[in-house]
Amino acid sequence: MSGPPDDLKDLDGLLRGVRFAPRASLGAEVVGRWRHGERVAELPRFLPRRRVLGLAAAALLLGLGLVTFWMIALRPLGAVTVDRCCQDLDGGGSMDDGLLVVSEHGSAVKRLMIYEDRDGSRTFSPPDTMRFERHGAPVVQGEMTGDHRTIQFCCLDYDGGGPSDDALLIVGRPPDMIAMAAIYEHHASPGPLR
Amino acid sequence: MLRTQLASPPPPALPATAEERCRVWYAAYGQAVYSYIRFHVSSADVADDVTADSFLKVFRAADRYDASRGEARIWVFGIARNTLRDHLRRERVRRHTSLGAMRDLVFDAPSPEERLLWEEQVGRLLLAVNELNANDREIVGLRYGSELDNAAIAAVLGIGESGVRTRLWRALSRLRTIMDCQPE
Repeated sequence: MSGPPDDLKDLDGLLRGVRFAPRASLGAEVVGRWRHGERVAELPRFLPRRRVLGLAAAALLLGLGLVTFWMIALRPLGAVTVDRCCQDLDGGGSMDDGLLVVSEHGSAVKRLMIYEDRDGSRTFSPPDTMRFERHGAPVVQGEMTGDHRTIQFCCLDYDGGGPSDDALLIVGRPPDMIAMAAIYEHHASPGPLR
Repeated sequence: MLRTQLASPPPPALPATAEERCRVWYAAYGQAVYSYIRFHVSSADVADDVTADSFLKVFRAADRYDASRGEARIWVFGIARNTLRDHLRRERVRRHTSLGAMRDLVFDAPSPEERLLWEEQVGRLLLAVNELNANDREIVGLRYGSELDNAAIAAVLGIGESGVRTRLWRALSRLRTIMDCQPE
């Protein structure tokens, strides 16, 4: 064995000088205890019950968290279509207008249409008259004049996201001209127009 | 230095009866196991108890010992390590070493004054050892308590001999630092 470094030699020597001895009777005592079949209490190698329960609870919470995360953030990609009919969206006085929103993940609006439910089907169908249509970003169609009115509806689930927290903002000229329509999340500080 | 390093004793021949085997094993390794354990516990009484528990386990497992798989002392020290670990887990208290009389300290000092000085010196040494982390204390206990050589320590710990040396010198460096910070 190679010796210790020079600066540790004195400590090594000191430690080599330390020796302990059990009491003289210990050997005979141990043999006697063994002869009488004495066992040493072993610490459990399995996990204590409380720890198992704790781990199970943690696993359950983790599972719930993952499911929630999946439902919120990783739900299947694809369009969600919401077709709500019938309200007076154009200010014409008749509850015959429907709103069709196609959104992605229930949040980003990909298409928004306001139609007049001509056939009374209470859903968008070929005979219906289109009053307003746009795709992704909110746009103003036509000229804005002084006789335009702003109408807001709140709160429903317009984007298919689940909670009824969306507001619908419509700017138009009654009875049937709509210049702009958008939805937004209705919170204390409203979200951006979508 | 009060004694010199002993050469590793040859392994004792195994007697036929279990009881005789147990006696031989205790005679051969009892003091080394005790001294190894003593580096980790606060008193001679505790070291006695843990040593006794270790050998009870050794004796109970004697039938399972297979000489072809390794030396008996390595096997005995493996059991002693586990028993000590269980004890320390059970205790979960900060170890402390009494600076009072050490009834189990072997000494060759001729006078009572020298004995007192030696006890005090060893007490301070053990206080510092108990400040080490578990790995450092383990290697110090095995090297200086059990008197195992590096090859045997390597077998007990399941590491290489060079690893034993490296760990030992690092542990001694940290021990030196701790002792330098001790109040006089």
